[in-house]
Parts: sequence; C-alpha cells; structure tokens
Amino acid sequence: MQERIYMDNSATTRTDPAVVEAMIPYFTDQYAVASSQFSHTPGIQAREALDQARAIIAGTMHADPESVVFTSGGTESNNLALKGTAWAFRGKKDHLIVSKTVHNSVLHSAQWLEKQGFRVTYADVDDQGFVDPDDIAGLLTDQTFLVSVQHANHETGTLQDIGAISDRCRKKEVLFHVDACRTLTMIELDLGTIPADLVSVSSHLVHGPKGVGALYIRPDTKIQKWQHGGYHEFDRRAGTENVAGAVGFGKAVELTKPEHTEAVRDMQKDLLDGLMSGIEGTVLNGAADLSRRHPGNVNVSFNRIEGESVVLHLDMKGISVITGSACFSRSLEPSYVMMAMGFTHERAHGSIRFTLSRFNRPDEIDRVVESSREVVEALRRISPLK
Amino acid sequence: MVADIIVDVTGETCPVPLVEMRKAVMKADKGKVIVIRGTHGASREEIPMAVDSLGLKLLKTEETDGVWQIFIER
Repeated sequence: MQERIYMDNSATTRTDPAVVEAMIPYFTDQYAVASSQFSHTPGIQAREALDQARAIIAGTMHADPESVVFTSGGTESNNLALKGTAWAFRGKKDHLIVSKTVHNSVLHSAQWLEKQGFRVTYADVDDQGFVDPDDIAGLLTDQTFLVSVQHANHETGTLQDIGAISDRCRKKEVLFHVDACRTLTMIELDLGTIPADLVSVSSHLVHGPKGVGALYIRPDTKIQKWQHGGYHEFDRRAGTENVAGAVGFGKAVELTKPEHTEAVRDMQKDLLDGLMSGIEGTVLNGAADLSRRHPGNVNVSFNRIEGESVVLHLDMKGISVITGSACFSRSLEPSYVMMAMGFTHERAHGSIRFTLSRFNRPDEIDRVVESSREVVEALRRISPLK
Repeated sequence: MVADIIVDVTGETCPVPLVEMRKAVMKADKGKVIVIRGTHGASREEIPMAVDSLGLKLLKTEETDGVWQIFIER
C-alpha cells in the first residue's frame, strides 16, 4: 500500500508535532489550573500560559484578548453565540436569521431556539452557496437581534461576503455572528475593518488539538452566560480551563504563515484543473471564482455515479476524502448544503469533497487525480445510471 | 472450498456490501477465505474492483437464482 493521502481537512487537520510538543509540559509538570493564580506559583504560570495563548488568537483577528473566550470547540462557540444572545434578548427581541447552509451546530441551535419561542428565518443561498447581503437586509426587522453566517462553508468552501453582511447588520443595530472555524489562519479576518460581534473559531481545524475553540465576543455585546458553575473566562463560560489545549491552539495559530495559504491555494488549483480536465462529466460544486472560495476546498460531483462508492474505492487506494451523500448514515436525505443550493439528489449524492492543508504536498495531486479517474471510469462501467 | 468467514448481505444495496466486505477483510487473518453473499448487481461488480485495490486474491464468483457468492483470500 502506498503512503496514505489525507484530503479531509475540513473535518479535522493533523496536529502539528510542534503543537504536541508545546502542550506536553502542561500535562506533565505545569498541570495547575489557571484559576489557582491567586493561590500559588504554578497557578500563576498556568494563567500566564492561558493568557498568552489568548493573546495570540486575539492578535490574529486584530481583537482585544479579553474579548476571546475559550470553549470546548467550534460547536460550543456556535451554541453560545446563538443561545447566549437569544437569552440576553429574551422578552425584548425574538427574531434571528441564519443562512440555510450554516454548520449543524448553528442550524440545530436555531431550530432549538424556535422550540423555545424564538422566530428564525433561514436565508436562501444561490446555486454557488452565496448569501446575498441585500437579501439579509430585506429580512431584518425591528425584532431581529442576530444574523449568523459561516465565513467558509464546510462542504463547498464558498466564502460569504462578511464585510457587506456586517454593514447591513450594523445599520440596523443587529448583532452579527460569523462561524470562522474553517477560515481562521487561512484567510485574514480583521475585526477592525469587519466589525463582527461574535466569531467562532476552532483549534483542530488549524493543526491544533481537538477539544478547544474560542468565541470572540465584541465588548458590550449582550450575551447570557450559558454554562454555569464558576467564574472562568471573564464569567462568560464556567469550567476548568483547558490550559494544555489552549496552549496548543495558540501554538498552532502562531505557526501559521501566509505562504501556507498560498501553497494550499496552488494545490487547490492544480487538483481542480486535473479533475475537471481529466475526468469527463465532472462538475464543480460551490464558488466558481476561486478567490471567493476556501483555498483548500475542491468539491465536485462525478456524473452518473454515487459518492459513497467513489469514497470507498479511493480509500482502498489510500486516499481519504468524503462525500455529501448520506447513504453511510442510512439517511435518505443527501447533504442539506447541496440541497439548499438547488441541486438534484443525483448531484448531491455524487459530490466528493477534497480538502487540503499545509501538510499536503504538490506531488500528491497527480496521484489523487489519476486514482479518481480510474475509480470513476470503473464505477461508470457498472453504473445503472446512463 | 471452505469459507472461514461468511458475510451475508443479501437484500442490501450499495454501499453496504462493500462496507461489510471491508470490515470482514480488516478482521480476518492472512490466508483466511471470506465469502461475500449478496443480491445487488452493482456490488457483484464492485467487490472484485475492491479486491484488486486491496491486493487480495479473488478465488471465484458463483451465482444461483440471483444470489451471488464471491470468494476472497485475505
């Protein structure tokens, strides 16, 4: 078997070995909790490590460190953003807007809020997955307290125009939440120029450890604490601080260089060109303009075959990718993201997501294209779909 | 030919036969004979492709009354 090629970086990324090394002392020697800072030296050191990591993460977004609250990951950050603001506005405003293609942690939080009496508008996207900022403006009412969109979609990589959506929200004094879990470190997010009020980020998608993320909360944003039991994280999120995780997250962000994004973008272009030109009947899903797409995302459908077979056969050739088909979960419904874009079931079931990171190498692209061509051609020979 | 492991996926459609075949292959010791028994036509074609990709040995394929059996050596 040849060396495995991992192209499922929108699901999770390899933890950088330097990140693991940076974390180890916080398990073995410096294991005190940061809230012991008023009692003993190890507690002070833990607090310093936590705050240093916080400053690195805040710095990459041009934010004040005290506006960054560590969480257990992107899912918790998204839950806190939606439920925390909803509860802060309870009895005053009752309407929020989320796009139809947001991550399930936003979508399911919005659906849960509906059951609690809030009203939710699920904003449409076009056939490339874009939200129209003017559509959002038209949906805002005097009862709207929050708009939530995803910076880059987890399946298609489509990048929303968060600057324009932010402007529309600000004019109506509506809070704006961005799920930036997949764009942190890959695409600059300057909160000085794009004044989002809440931003979710995740460690394991940027070569940090799993189990840690953060929510940026702009100062003076109305948000209700959601997890109780202590006064941690500026009294916004109770629970013993994950110092080792935060240190790893900070280290992962610190290791990022602009040239990583450029290298990933070059591989994205080569992979897309190879698949589109080398395999007849291949269509791109998501933004066609690569400058409006996550640099590491290539999502295509191969006509006349189903995605799960492609994924299994690529796996057997040592290549890890995923499909938008839901057959593996025994659900009959294909990807809700693809369906929101107006795709047919066949196209949604046939979608394959290749997602790259700085740990991929340019020489892997040819093997992935050639293996995909072999698999697609073989599956089409036996496909009942003509 | 004696089967060491029988994977019965009759009535199942893609991708279940392939998934179950892979699980059996991962658990089996080298040299063991695995028989996949099913009814889905596309899977009958697909499993030999997987056998090739995984570097396994396809021993034989037989079919009676719409039920096929694929014999693989791990």
